[in-house]
Amino acid sequence: MSRPEIYSPEGLRIDGRRWNEVRHIKCAINTHPASSDGSSIIEQGNTKVMCNVVGPAEPTSSSGGGGAKSNTNSFANENKVTLSVKATVAPFSTIDRRKRSGNDSRIQEMCLTIQHIFEEAVMGHLQPRSQIVISLYILAQDGGMLQACINAASLALIDAGIPMYDYVCACTAGMHDTEVLLDLNRLEENDMPFLTMATLGATRKVSLMQLETRVGVDKLEPMMAAAMSGCHYLRQIMDAQVRKHGKNRLARVGA
Amino acid sequence: MATALKRYFADGSSGATLSVSQKVYVRSRRGKATKIVQEHYLRTDIPCSSQLCPICSLNLPKDSSGAERPPILSREPPTAGSWGPHYLVPDTNVFVKAMDLMEHKSAFYDVIVLQTVLDELRNISLPLYNRLRALSQSQEKRFYVFHNEFRQETFVERQQGESMNDKNDRAIRTACAWYRVHLDETMSKSSEIVPQVLLLSNDNDCLRKARELGVACTNLDDYVRFLPDCDTLLDMIVAEHGGDETHKFAYPEYYSTSRIQGGIQIGNLHQGVLNISQYNYLEGSVTVPSFDRPLLILGRESINRAMHGDVVVVEVLPESEWKTPSTKIVEEDNITKNDNAEDDEEENLLVTEQERRALAEEPATQNSSAEFKVQRTAKVVSVIKRNWRSYVGHIDAASISSDAVATRRQTSVFLIPMNRRIPKIKIRTRRAADLVGKRILAAVDSWDASSRYPQGHFIRALGDIEAKAAETEALLLEYDVQYQPFTQSVLDCLPIEGHDWKVPAETSDPRWTGREDLRDLLVCSIDPPGCQDIDDALHARPLPNGNFEVGVHIADVSHFVKPNTAMDSEASSRGTTVYLVDKRIDMLPVLLGTNLCSLMPYVERFAFSAIWEMTPDAEIVNTRFTKSVIRSKEAFSYEQAQLRIDDKSQTDPLTQGIRDLLRLSKALKAKRMAAGALNLASPEVKVNVESETSDPMDVEVKKSHETNSLVEEFMLLANISVAAKIYEAFPQSAMLRRHGAPPKENFEVLADQLRVCKQLSLNAESSKQLADSLDACKDSNDPYLNTLIRIMATRCMLAAEYFCSGTMAEPEFRHYGLATHIYTHWTSPIRRYADIVAHRQLASAIAYEPLHESLRDKPKLERVCQNINQRHRNAQFAGRASVEYYIGQALKNHELDVEAYVMKVFSNGFVVFVPQFGIEGPIHLRDAKSSFKFDEANYALILNEGTDKEETLQLFRKIIVHVETVVEESTGKRKVAFRSQNPKIE
Ligand SMILES: [Zn+2]
Repeated sequence: MSRPEIYSPEGLRIDGRRWNEVRHIKCAINTHPASSDGSSIIEQGNTKVMCNVVGPAEPTSSSGGGGAKSNTNSFANENKVTLSVKATVAPFSTIDRRKRSGNDSRIQEMCLTIQHIFEEAVMGHLQPRSQIVISLYILAQDGGMLQACINAASLALIDAGIPMYDYVCACTAGMHDTEVLLDLNRLEENDMPFLTMATLGATRKVSLMQLETRVGVDKLEPMMAAAMSGCHYLRQIMDAQVRKHGKNRLARVGA
Repeated sequence: MATALKRYFADGSSGATLSVSQKVYVRSRRGKATKIVQEHYLRTDIPCSSQLCPICSLNLPKDSSGAERPPILSREPPTAGSWGPHYLVPDTNVFVKAMDLMEHKSAFYDVIVLQTVLDELRNISLPLYNRLRALSQSQEKRFYVFHNEFRQETFVERQQGESMNDKNDRAIRTACAWYRVHLDETMSKSSEIVPQVLLLSNDNDCLRKARELGVACTNLDDYVRFLPDCDTLLDMIVAEHGGDETHKFAYPEYYSTSRIQGGIQIGNLHQGVLNISQYNYLEGSVTVPSFDRPLLILGRESINRAMHGDVVVVEVLPESEWKTPSTKIVEEDNITKNDNAEDDEEENLLVTEQERRALAEEPATQNSSAEFKVQRTAKVVSVIKRNWRSYVGHIDAASISSDAVATRRQTSVFLIPMNRRIPKIKIRTRRAADLVGKRILAAVDSWDASSRYPQGHFIRALGDIEAKAAETEALLLEYDVQYQPFTQSVLDCLPIEGHDWKVPAETSDPRWTGREDLRDLLVCSIDPPGCQDIDDALHARPLPNGNFEVGVHIADVSHFVKPNTAMDSEASSRGTTVYLVDKRIDMLPVLLGTNLCSLMPYVERFAFSAIWEMTPDAEIVNTRFTKSVIRSKEAFSYEQAQLRIDDKSQTDPLTQGIRDLLRLSKALKAKRMAAGALNLASPEVKVNVESETSDPMDVEVKKSHETNSLVEEFMLLANISVAAKIYEAFPQSAMLRRHGAPPKENFEVLADQLRVCKQLSLNAESSKQLADSLDACKDSNDPYLNTLIRIMATRCMLAAEYFCSGTMAEPEFRHYGLATHIYTHWTSPIRRYADIVAHRQLASAIAYEPLHESLRDKPKLERVCQNINQRHRNAQFAGRASVEYYIGQALKNHELDVEAYVMKVFSNGFVVFVPQFGIEGPIHLRDAKSSFKFDEANYALILNEGTDKEETLQLFRKIIVHVETVVEESTGKRKVAFRSQNPKIE
C-alpha cells in the first residue's frame, strides 16, 4: 500500500481534518481518587495519557529520586516546593509493542521538561519544604505525546488542588511545505517539521517551545501562531471539563 | 479494514462539526501482522464544487493563508449523445485505460475524481496518479477531486464479507447518488438545468448496480462513440488483453520477487539498467557492480521483453555461452519486416530463423589478443522498473492489412519508433490508412509473455513526416523536452514592471542592501555572435601592488527566481534550456532570460560577482564573492574580441583589460593542463539557417578563437572557487558536479585498436597520462586523426553528473576531465537550474540571505540532481538530433563526395564518420557485389581478396564516401546514406 497524501491540494489531511482542526479531545479528572491526590485522563485523538499527582507532601527519599534535579543537601527545598515527574510508557502504546526501559533518555528528558514547566506554573512558594510527585502513564501513542502529558499533568494538578497561576496547555503545529497543520498525529509527525508549544492559560506567555526538526526561520512564526491558538482552544476544553466536574461535585455535596 | 463509527464532539477553531470513526486495518510487516488504528474524521463541509450549487459556494473552506478554493465544475458542462449537460465520474479502471483521453483537449471536461478512485489509482500506478493530480491542479480541464471518504453522507463502511474492490465500487456509486440528490436539492429553486452525474465504468456488474440505484452510467467505449473525433479517441484507449487461448510460444516467465531478492543477496542475480546497442537491436548490455565489464544480453529470448533503459535483474549464463559483442549490424526493420501485426501470436517460434541467423556467431575466438573481448553473457529474469514513456515513430505501412483499410475496422499495426533501440510497438487503430506517413506519438501499455511485441496505444499524430513542425515536435517529445509555453502562474512570478524593470536608482532601496556598486568597473561580455541570453561578463584591472583584480560577473537570476514559486518549480523541472538548430526552448521566461537577467551592454543589471586578486602568473592571492550592480561597457562576439585584442592601435583601458584577461587565462590553462586536464573533442558543427524560412543553408565546423578559451578558463575558475565555498558552508548539501574516472577497461578496446591499426599506444592509467598519450596519438600526414581519436576516447568516458555533496565521499568529488578536486556549475543560471541552486547556496554562504530549507534538504536535492542530470543528457541528445535532421534537409537536394573515417568495423559492414558534418552512419555490405572477408583481429574488412582490386578497409582509414539522402520506401522517412566511393564498393 503506497503512502496516502499527507495533505491534499484540496486542503484535507490524512485523517480528514483541515489545517486548523485539532483531534477530538476527551478528558476527565479525579479518575483515581483512591490512589492519588489528583488524577486525570486525557485522550487527544488516539493518544491517551493518564496522570496521578501525589502531594504536596513530606518529601520521602524513595519518591524524590525521579526528578533529574538533585538537591545536594536534602530533597526538601527551603523556599519552594520540590516537583518530581515520572513517566511510564505502556508497551502496548505503540503499534509494534516495543518495550521501553524506564531509563530511556528521551523519556527522561521529557520528564525534566515537564518538571521545569510546572515549576514555573505552580505557586511553589506557598508550599516550601514539601514535594509533589507527578506520575504519567502513556497508554496509547498517536502523535503529540508531550502535549498530552503536559495537558494531563495540568489537569491532575488542578484536581489535586495545587495552586497554579493558570492551566498549562500544550499543542503541536507542523509545517507541510507552506501549510501550517495543527495538532499532528503520528503519521504527520513523521513526515514534517513540527514544534510543541505550551502556554500559561489563554495568554501569550509561552512556557515551552520545543522544536527538534529543522525548519526555515520564516516558517517559525506561522507555526507558533497556530500552535498558540491551539493551546488557547485546549484551555477552553480543559476548563469546561474542570468546571463541569466541579459542578457535579458541588451538587453531590449540596444534596 | 473495519470501521467502527463513534460519534464524538470534535471541533477545531473552524467551528465545523465532525464525527470521527476509527479506521482499523491489519498490516503485515516483516512477517508480523500488526493492527493499525487510525482516526478518520467525517465532515459535512466538503463542497460539491459545482458553480451551480448555491449552498456549497457560500461555505468554501479556507487554507491557512485564508485563501478559498473557488468551485471548479462549470455552469455549463458538456453534453454528449443523449446525455444532457453532465459531470463525469470515471471509476479507477477508466483512468488506468484512458488517461491519455482524459488529457486530450477535445473532450472530458468537468470531471469529478473521487477520493476512492484517486487512492486506488495511486496504489496501482504512481505515474498515473501524478498525471491525474496534474490534471486536477491545472484547472484547464476542470477536474475536481471530491473527498467522498471524508464526507459524512458518502462515507461507506466495509461490510462483513465484502471485498475491498466491491466496497470501493459501492463507495463510487454512493458518491454518484449523493451528487445527484445534492444537486437536485440545492438547485430546486434555480431555473438552470440540473446537470446529470454520469458514472463511467467498464465493469458491467457495477453498471447494473448503479442503474438499480438510479445513477446515470455508461461504458467508456459507448460514451466515447458519441464524442466528436471519436476514432482518434477510441484509438487512445489501452487495449484489453487478448483472450486466453493457448499460445504456441512465450517468453520465459519472470522470477518471483522472493527468488529475486534471495538471488541478489546471494550474488547470483544482478541488478542494472539495460542498454540496447544502437547498431543491433538484439544485443543489450547491463553494467552491474559485481563485474568490471558489462554483461552482454544477446537475443530476443535473453532480453526477455525488457526495453532500453529498464531496470532489470539478470542471471549470468554458464561460461560456455560467453560471447564477444556482435560484430554485425542488425537492424530490426530489415529482419522482421514480414512479421504480421494482426496475428503475431500464431507463429510457433519466439525467435525467428532470420533472427537466429543474424545473431549466430562463430564461437569466441581463442586467440589471445581477442581474449579481453569475450564477455559474460546473461539473461533477463525480471524487470524491476520499466522505463516506458511515450514514443514517437511512424506506422509501418507494410503491417496494414488491405481489408482493414477498406472496412475501417480496428486493426493492429506496427509503430516503428524513431529510436532504434526500442522495439516495434503494436497499436490498435481504426484509422491505419490515415496515419501512414505521419509522425505519431504512442504509449506502451504492456508486454505479455505470449506476445512477441509490446502492446501500446495511439496518443496523437504530430503531422506529416519530414514536415519541419512535426519533426521538431517529435524530437522534443522523444527527448522529453518540456516545450509548452509557460503557464500563467509562472508568468505571474515575473516582476510587474515587465520590460521596464530597472535597477532602482536610489541606492537606499532595499534591493540594494548587501550589493556592491560595481557600475564603474570596465566590464564586458564575450559570447557567440547573436547571443541574447548573456549569463556572464568579465573585467580585469591592474592593482597598485602589481597584481591584478579579475572579476567574473554572473546574471543574478536568483534575485528574480525565488524558491518555492511556480517559476522555480517550472525551471527545476525543465532543468536546462535546450538549443535546437532553429529554436531555443527556454528554462526561464524570455523576459528574464534575454532581458532582465541578461547582462546586456550599457544598462545596469543585478549581478553576482566572483572577484579574485591574482599575481601576474595567475596565482590566486584572494577570492571573494558579492552580490553587485554592474553596467557592462560592451558585448563582444568571440571574433570581435579577438580583433580588438589583435588591433595594436587600440590602447583604451577596456582593451587592455581584455588583453590582461587573455594573458591570465593562458597561464590558468597551462596550469590546468599540467595538472592533467583533458582536451576532449566532440564533433561540433553549426548549421546555418536562413533567417526568414529557417531552411538550412549550409553546414560548417565550429571555429574556435583564443577568446573562446579566455571566457572558458575564467568560467572554470569561477565554478571551482564557488564549489569550494559552498562545500565549506554546506558540507552535506552543496550542489556540485563530478566526473568519475573511467574504469581502465573502458579504454582496452580503443587501445588495442590503436596498437593494431596505427601502432600507437594509449595509456589511461590517469587523466594526466591519458592526456599525454592522446597528445602523442597523431599522424603527421593526417592531422584530423588526432581529433577522431579524441572523439572516440571521449565516448569511453563516463558522463559528468550533478550530485549533492552529502551523498559521496570527498575523494569522489573529483572532476576527471577538468582535473580538479571539486567543481560545480554557477556561471549560467539563465540556462541551467543547477546554477540557480549554486547561486542560492553561495548567497547564503556569504550571509547575503538565509538559505531556503529546501536547499538543505538532502533527499530533495538528490531528486533535483537526478532530474537535471537526465534533462541535461536529453538536451544534448535533442540538440544533436536536431543538427542531424537539418543536415539531412540541407543535403536533400545535392549529393556529394566527402572525406570520411572508418570508425567501427563489423563483419557485414562498417561505420563511417564524416568530419565535415560531424555525423556518422553505417555502410552495409549485404548487397555488395564485391567479395569481402572480415579480419577481426586487425579490425579490417578485406575487399576482393586475391584480385588486383584488393583493398583493406581498416579502422581509422580515411576513405571517400558518397553522401546523399534517401527516402525509405516503406515510410517516407529521409535518412542520410553513405556509399563508399574510394575504394569503390559496388
Ligand atoms: Zn453543493
